[in-house]
Formats: sequence, C-alpha cells, structure tokens
Amino acid sequence: MIERKLIQLAQGGDFNAFNTLIAGHKDKVYRLALKLTGNREDAEDIVQETFLKAIDNIDKFRMESSFGTWLYTIALNNVRAHAGKGKRMPLKPIEEYLPSGHSSDVDELFEWGDPHQVFENKQLQEIIEKALADMPIKYSTPFVLRYMEEMSVNEVAEMLKLSLPATKSRILRARLALREKLEDVFRERVHE
Amino acid sequence: MSKCDKQIQQICDYVDGELDGALCAELEAHLKECRNCRLMVDSLKQTVVLCREGKPEPLPKELEAKLSDALRRRWEKKFGGKKT
Repeated sequence: MIERKLIQLAQGGDFNAFNTLIAGHKDKVYRLALKLTGNREDAEDIVQETFLKAIDNIDKFRMESSFGTWLYTIALNNVRAHAGKGKRMPLKPIEEYLPSGHSSDVDELFEWGDPHQVFENKQLQEIIEKALADMPIKYSTPFVLRYMEEMSVNEVAEMLKLSLPATKSRILRARLALREKLEDVFRERVHE
Repeated sequence: MSKCDKQIQQICDYVDGELDGALCAELEAHLKECRNCRLMVDSLKQTVVLCREGKPEPLPKELEAKLSDALRRRWEKKFGGKKT
C-alpha cells in the first residue's frame, strides 16, 4: 500500500517519493549487475542506466508487478545489452557434464573436501565471479537470481518470461558448468 | 557403462530438497552404489554454498553521489517545475 502511494506520488512528479522508492534497490541492482558482468565499470553504467530509464518510464508503470521486479527487469535488459559486447564461452550440453557411471575404467570425479583448505575465500569468490562473467548471460542470469538473489524457480521463470522447464534447465546447466570450473581449479591446485 | 544421465536432473532437485519421495528413495539407492554421483551431489551442494559466501558489495560512495546528480537532472528534465 505504501509502495503504491509512493509510485502515484512519483508519477505525479514527486522526486522525494521516487528516491524513497529506489533507496532499497540501489545496492541490489549494483550487486546483480556486478555478478552478471564481473566488471565494476559495466555494473556502474548499468545502475545509472537502470534508474534513468526508470525515471523515463515511471509514468508507464502500471503496478502489474512490484516496483522491485520492474526495476530488476530494466536492469536485466541493460545487463543483456552490455553482455552482448563481450564474448562468452558457450556451455556444453547437460550430458557432457555427467559423471561416467559405475565402470572401473572411467574417470572419477574429483573429491573436493573443504575448498577453503585449498583457496582463500577471496580467491574462491574471484574464481566464481569470473566463471559467471564468462558464461552466456542466458544461463548465469537464472542461476544468480535463483541461488544468489534467493528467488524461487517460479519467480525466476516469471521475471525472465521463461517456461518452468526452460528455467530449471538453464539453472542446471549454469550450476554444472560452475561446478566443473571449480573442480578444474581445485584439481589443478592440488596437483601443483 | 552409460553415463548417469537419468540421475543428473534428479540430483539437482535432490540437493535443492525438491525431489519427490519415491524418486528420492530411488536416487538415494543409486547414490549408495555410485561414487561419481555421490561426489556430484557433494560438489553441486558446495558450488551453491560457495556462491552464497561472497560478501555483497554496496554501491560505491562516489557512484551514489554521481547517480543522485544524474537522477535529479533527468527528473527536472522530465517533470520541469513540478514539486521535487
């Protein structure tokens, strides 16, 4: 109800109401942009573009979603525009990430143990940041929304206008790709 | 031996606690026999745990100031002399 009132005031030209509306979303939009681009400059541009577009379109906002969802949608469109400028590594089909079964002559997966014994937390975060930034945005976005922004699969599907199976499939591929990347660096470090 | 392709989608649902009872029991029986799938379960869980460990970075102070100026200018351009 309060949000609705603030939106109406903002749509009538009240800048203070607009500032109140966006206050709780600035850090969130920055964090999302940073995770998806892996680049502070791009993330800063995306934040600025997102809130400027929100001003441009505030009178067109029909309150069919929450204000936060609307802002996130604008931010994700901006992320897509930025992501299109750089090359990202395509992901493999799901079956290529699979373990190879019970046979004794197949490759064993690497036993992770405690990753913090192998890398400091800061290094781990840098590895994850880079892996997400290298991943096609169509996979990293649902993964980040699901596991780092703590949205449900249904909410992710709704925000990205995807079917539930497509959303789950993209989240799965991103998770498998990230798992494999981490496994590669752990294996490499242990065998150094 | 074929890959554990039937299990992989189930493993992701399993680690998220979203696998139905009967399928869950079936998968747990498989996990007892398949070391690779057990390692997959463990590492997929840890992948998400590690992602969640990152400290959220707040908006840099300089950007906050720059953003406020840019928003005010854009607002004045859009709404002109209306109440701000």
